[in-house]
Amino acid sequence: MSRHDVVVVGAGMAGLTAAVRLAEGGATVLVLAKGVGATHLSPATIDVLGYAPDRVDRPLEALAAFAERHPGHPYGVVGAAGVAAAVPWFAERFADGPLAPYAYTGTADENLLLPTAVGVLRPSAVVPETMAGGDLRDGGEVCVVGFRALKDFHPRLAADNLSRHPGVTARGIELDCVPEGRVDVNALGFARAFDDAAFRKDVVARVAGRLHAEERVAFPAVLGIADPHAVWSELQDRLGRPVFEIPTLPPSVPGMRVFATLRERLRRAGSRVVLNNVVTGAEHRGGTVTGVRARVGLRDVVHGADWVVLATGGFASGGVELDSRWAGREVALGLPVAGIPAPGEERFGPAYFGEHPMARAGVAVDADQRPVGADGARVFDNVLVAGATLAGAEPWREKSGEGISLATGHRAAGLILDAAGSAQRSAVAATEG
Amino acid sequence: MARLQADVLIIGGGATGAATAWDAALRGFDVVLVDRADLAEGTSGRFHGLLHSGGRYVVKDRVAAEECVAENAIVRRILPDAVEDTGGLFVTTPDDDPAYGDRFMEGCRAAGLPAEEIPVAEALRMEPRLNPGIQRAFTVPDGAIDVWKSVWSLAAGAAAHGARILTYHKVLDLHVGDGGVTGARVRNELTGEELDIEAGFTLNASGAWAAQIVHMAGIEGIGVIPGKGIMIAMNHRLVNTVVNRCTMPADGDILVPIRTVSAIGTTDIRAADPDEIPVTQQEVDQMLDGGERLVPGLRQARALRVWAGVRPLFQDDRSGPAAADTRDVSRGHAVVDHAERDGVRRLLTMSGGKLTTMRLMAQDLVDAMCRQLGDERPCRTEHERPPGHEDGRHMQIGDRLRRREATLRDEQLICECELIGRSRLEQTMQTRGTLNLDDVRRQLRLGMGPCQGGFCIYRATGILHGVERLDGEEASASLTSFLQERWKGVWPILYGDQLRQARLDDWIFQGLLDVEHLPEAAAVVPDEELSAS
Ligand SMILES: Cc1cc2nc3c(=O)[nH]c(=O)nc-3n(C[C@H](O)[C@H](O)[C@H](O)COP(=O)(O)OP(=O)(O)OC[C@H]3O[C@@H](n4cnc5c(N)ncnc54)[C@H](O)[C@@H]3O)c2cc1C
Ligand SMILES: Cc1cc2nc3c(=O)[nH]c(=O)nc-3n(C[C@H](O)[C@H](O)[C@H](O)COP(=O)(O)OP(=O)(O)OC[C@H]3O[C@@H](n4cnc5c(N)ncnc54)[C@H](O)[C@@H]3O)c2cc1C
Repeated sequence: MSRHDVVVVGAGMAGLTAAVRLAEGGATVLVLAKGVGATHLSPATIDVLGYAPDRVDRPLEALAAFAERHPGHPYGVVGAAGVAAAVPWFAERFADGPLAPYAYTGTADENLLLPTAVGVLRPSAVVPETMAGGDLRDGGEVCVVGFRALKDFHPRLAADNLSRHPGVTARGIELDCVPEGRVDVNALGFARAFDDAAFRKDVVARVAGRLHAEERVAFPAVLGIADPHAVWSELQDRLGRPVFEIPTLPPSVPGMRVFATLRERLRRAGSRVVLNNVVTGAEHRGGTVTGVRARVGLRDVVHGADWVVLATGGFASGGVELDSRWAGREVALGLPVAGIPAPGEERFGPAYFGEHPMARAGVAVDADQRPVGADGARVFDNVLVAGATLAGAEPWREKSGEGISLATGHRAAGLILDAAGSAQRSAVAATEG
Repeated sequence: MARLQADVLIIGGGATGAATAWDAALRGFDVVLVDRADLAEGTSGRFHGLLHSGGRYVVKDRVAAEECVAENAIVRRILPDAVEDTGGLFVTTPDDDPAYGDRFMEGCRAAGLPAEEIPVAEALRMEPRLNPGIQRAFTVPDGAIDVWKSVWSLAAGAAAHGARILTYHKVLDLHVGDGGVTGARVRNELTGEELDIEAGFTLNASGAWAAQIVHMAGIEGIGVIPGKGIMIAMNHRLVNTVVNRCTMPADGDILVPIRTVSAIGTTDIRAADPDEIPVTQQEVDQMLDGGERLVPGLRQARALRVWAGVRPLFQDDRSGPAAADTRDVSRGHAVVDHAERDGVRRLLTMSGGKLTTMRLMAQDLVDAMCRQLGDERPCRTEHERPPGHEDGRHMQIGDRLRRREATLRDEQLICECELIGRSRLEQTMQTRGTLNLDDVRRQLRLGMGPCQGGFCIYRATGILHGVERLDGEEASASLTSFLQERWKGVWPILYGDQLRQARLDDWIFQGLLDVEHLPEAAAVVPDEELSAS
């Protein structure tokens, strides 16, 4: 049985954040995950809070009142201070990371308004430098460029809707250039094509002559996977104007850049991510977990740990499940799931954009991110829960998904480092005394 | 007001109306068919997908059984491409009385239905997921029938013989004069324009809405009891053969393989209004329990979608009170002759029936019209095939995959679940000339697979925007209404993997794209707020 200070379950934004911070703080960490998380699907913008339910312009300021209105919300647990600490920490991981100088910009103080692939202006706080140029709070002229072979991004649709926002003029053009002559290429395929100088040259040649003087240029978020900063800078230089990325349907190239950066950080700090490990339970003595059981292929392996960070994602990632008889289940450690209506009560409502009673279901935690049961009592003392597994949020509506995962992952690591530090100090004090 | 003239006005573009248009057009009548919505958007588009062998009725309703036996064979012949020859099984589950099997076989013999008892072991070999506790098993010639293919080709056939098919045209009123009905006033539901149709005869094939139509002619004492039935599509073909419980008809007792999925159904609950038939969680539970009895473990399978239809069961004050359980009202059909019943000439109403017997119903209706007109013309639908069925081959589950493989390298795949390529989608959009993605969904099954449109809806919106030159507002309206329509069919069954899928879809539409805040919705936000940011 291997032993680690901390086993982190889950390799999404929350798990990787916790693991990197722990490893950089000196802990021995093992990340076990079934697969990659939502990083490979989501736009990778750190959305702190976008709607509450009206649009939020200054998220950090809005957080305290927001958390008060939503008891049990993860932001109530981490507080504005937790968010304020996590955001710059995240941006700093990119400085001299594997993709540097590719960077994140923005702060949790104010939201930018960035176009989505359907042409909505969506509030985001901290975003890749390659997206920041799309901030249309003050309006502007945009030429949205797409590719016929990329079915997951429709430039004219996006442009038409963008133009319906006051102060914004947009038009879309669709290019026929296809990597390797294929007709159906996804975002990652295009990102690899953009890594190639000849492809970039071709794209520039097709776009350059067609631009109006004041137009900035939007591309789908496929501007390189190996060296995105170089690709983006080159396009800006050659087109002589701001260029920015708009997220596409999954897979997400910007998300893969986040994954690559955090994983490399983790490796440099002496730890690693092991995929294809499905955690199926915990070994414990009373309220203290001594190790987690992971299924690898047909084998069960137990990994001993002093601490466990559970970051297995929500219903979307299979970290939490509901069966046909309405029983909720946290899949890795069997923790209680809060927020599921009793059988017979309504779980969802008939209006898609309406209220859904079980929207906020997940694992409930106390102020120290320890999982609690319906009675509020801690289930395990040395398990901390982070990310989309947590109960209390409706992040797809609030636009708070990555913000919650980042802040709770960051804080979980901090709590463990503090506790381990004080344990060490008291041990030192004991030997000295 | 614009005017239109025709020999025959058919009200309703479901299976009955389409079959009637085909029948009347083949007999040389000049036909206009109107439906308030798209073709097969009423009960026909919300049925169970079973081409009945008649087995379900042999014990209780001999006439209905015999009609099914005959029509099953005819439909296979005239609409082969809409039929998958799955075959069917009747099985006695551990909860059923094995002796019912004897009554069943006796009924089959009497109705001329070729059924055969087979050893349980053989049934389990055919369908390994079947409840291993079944006590008896019988084979019957059930099939699966695609209603969209059927209705669209019948309508296309009628059109090829001169019929005018007016979808999204709602009948507002019937014109009455000269001792009978002389036509109708209809409204184009897309443009709001009204139209007067002068017709020598009017055939009411509006199913569960038939009473509303006859009331327009001042006729009283006819009502329709809507009997709501729900069905749930499960991911995968849990069975390849139609599986029926061998017992008196009950809830959740038939599992039908439909293309790549299978549907468990159905219930029978009185509803007040055929347009208000929400599905409840309790009904879903009942259905899953019924399915467990046939195929244990069904609750662990992924439920994709739930829908409900209403049985158009007639209640006529002049023929005694209807029974309390709507399932006991006869499934057989009858032509209501309003000349005889009400002294209103040139109007006939079709009541009851089944999709399986749509052709026979149409024949009976047009025959009755011919009799009243004194213009007997022979029915030709027993042998004539409408367009799309020329090669006489039954559809097969692998058809789409085969087509897809042929174009693997030169065609973008837009809907991965249902294997819909870009050119097929663009063609359909062009020929339909529709602004409504939901029309495309019904015709191509777009977004009806496991991901429930998570990936293809955005793509299809982008393509529709290009093909139809929509502006952003129209495209967005189509997108949001599609999302709502899709949600209607999934929210009551969200658990297990489909809940996971729904959350991923929420992230795509609300997180990544933020469809909720498309500018249109933002129009309700006061101006200052928009410019302040
Ligand atoms: C399509 C899409 C679009 C999105 N758009 C936005 C957006 O616009 N804005 C925003 O803020 N957020 C968005 N999000 C949400 C955001 O990405 C997530 O909320 C966040 O990344 C979740 O991170 P996480 O680490 O908590 O969980 P996840 O990323 O879900 O990671 C869970 C991890 O746990 C692993 N795991 C699960 N079960 C087990 C087990 N039993 N054993 C071992 N490992 C297990 C998984 O394999 C995975 O590695 C989007 C998400 C998606 C999918
Ligand atoms: C739950 C359920 C499951 C079933 N399963 C099967 C099965 O597996 N096999 C089988 O053979 N049969 C089955 N049936 C029966 C079968 O579906 C129906 O008998 C058949 O679809 C009825 O077709 P129709 O054309 O008569 O009615 P509909 O399809 O309802 O057509 C009536 C049309 O009239 C239109 N209309 C209404 N009002 C107006 C107006 N004012 N102006 C213009 N148009 C109007 C409607 O829009 C509608 O399209 C099932 C029925 C139900 C309820």
